[in-house]
Amino acid sequence: MEKPEKLIVDGRRLDGRAPDELRPLKIKAGVLERADGSAYVELGNNKVFAAVYGPREMHPRHDQQPDAAVLRCRYSMAPFSVEDRKKPGPDRRSMEISKVTKEALEPVLFLELYPRSVIDVFIEVLQADAGTRTAGINAAAVALADAGVPMRDLVSSVAVGKVEDTIVLDLIKEEDQFGTTDMPVAIIPRKKAITLLQMDGHFTKEEFKQALDLAFRGCEKIYEVQRQALKEKYAIKESG
Amino acid sequence: MIYVQNREIVVPGQLIAEGNYRHLEGSFREGDRIYSAVVGLADIKGDKVRVIPLQGRYVPRVGDLVIGVVIDTHSSGWILDINSPYTANLFVSELVHRKVDLNKEDISKFLKIGDVVLAAVKEVDEYMRVLLETPERGMGRIEGGKLVEISPAKIPRVLGRKGSMLKVIESKTGCTLAVGQNGRIIVWGDDPRMVNLAVEAILMIEREAHTSGLTDRVALMLEGGKSEGK
Repeated sequence: MEKPEKLIVDGRRLDGRAPDELRPLKIKAGVLERADGSAYVELGNNKVFAAVYGPREMHPRHDQQPDAAVLRCRYSMAPFSVEDRKKPGPDRRSMEISKVTKEALEPVLFLELYPRSVIDVFIEVLQADAGTRTAGINAAAVALADAGVPMRDLVSSVAVGKVEDTIVLDLIKEEDQFGTTDMPVAIIPRKKAITLLQMDGHFTKEEFKQALDLAFRGCEKIYEVQRQALKEKYAIKESG
Repeated sequence: MIYVQNREIVVPGQLIAEGNYRHLEGSFREGDRIYSAVVGLADIKGDKVRVIPLQGRYVPRVGDLVIGVVIDTHSSGWILDINSPYTANLFVSELVHRKVDLNKEDISKFLKIGDVVLAAVKEVDEYMRVLLETPERGMGRIEGGKLVEISPAKIPRVLGRKGSMLKVIESKTGCTLAVGQNGRIIVWGDDPRMVNLAVEAILMIEREAHTSGLTDRVALMLEGGKSEGK
């Protein structure tokens, strides 16, 4: 990928968005027949599936927790999801993302209702264009709700960053690569509690506050789409 | 103060009520407010708030009627899959209603792996270890019939209010049904066509569980199916 001359021209980004604008977002719940719960998320050029299995019996047995369910997450990128073929299988990056995804989702689940069991979440990235971990969290939250797992709230997630001294929402690949900062954030929208916050690059204190505020506003919008996706699955279709 | 309409579809984290209400299944309280914990239909009766779930695994509760499949045996009983995150245990003495001398009797003559068993949940402890019993006639090993598996969250609709839906299916098809709370249903009948029709009705209920006026539509479908091909 070559560096574009300018990432922001006249207040518009490479794909024509304003700095505080999300990419087009589409979420569909209950897309996989064999999973207990599933969701498909399209955020711009990101295409992500999440599948939830469980609560089910935990294997291996010694990983069971006697008083609560265990949440297991696996984030994985398809070999064809990026420009240069990605070697399949877990690597350093995907294991890190699996771990932070698990920790981002755990606080909303009533795990104590299902002692000794496990809830498996599989996130599969089919097409990547920066922000796949946030898209994965959004999909996983909808898939968990679709599986009927009791939750305190959904989890919504988006990345913010700094590109040519402008704070922007929801970075695309070029902005992620040639921008100054990328900061994925996941929140519990109802409580305004942060469950994931990573940062690559640097912000001043003021910029950080501004960026976090922007992330919260982005998450609110995503939260609304997530809720709609769940309700739509059961919307009564006009019989005709 | 109620924030949703009765029977409205709610999602996790959605505010349902504020103030002096009692929260039942599918909802939780935070301070003064009651929120939904699952995707489901809000059900408000008097001061009781609950959410009828539309999805979810079966969690065993004492007294539930369940249909299990034997997956393993041990020295004094069997381990059954009850379509839940947890397996259940059935002891020989609970199955045959007498003391069995394990040294003298071979228990493999009672149940084999793969057998289907109708039983009631006798005990569930805090670690979700489940014990089954077969106190009533007709419980125990099942012979014949067709086994249907649907989402356990939809079993209440198959039964209907005070068993009304079940009565409709049984009377229209002439079949006998055993409905387990764990999402498994056994259909017995002499006419295979009628058995298939009853299965069709169950699957239709599963698909349309969240809609209203379902009993009438099922009755209509069964009537149509009966006259077809005659």
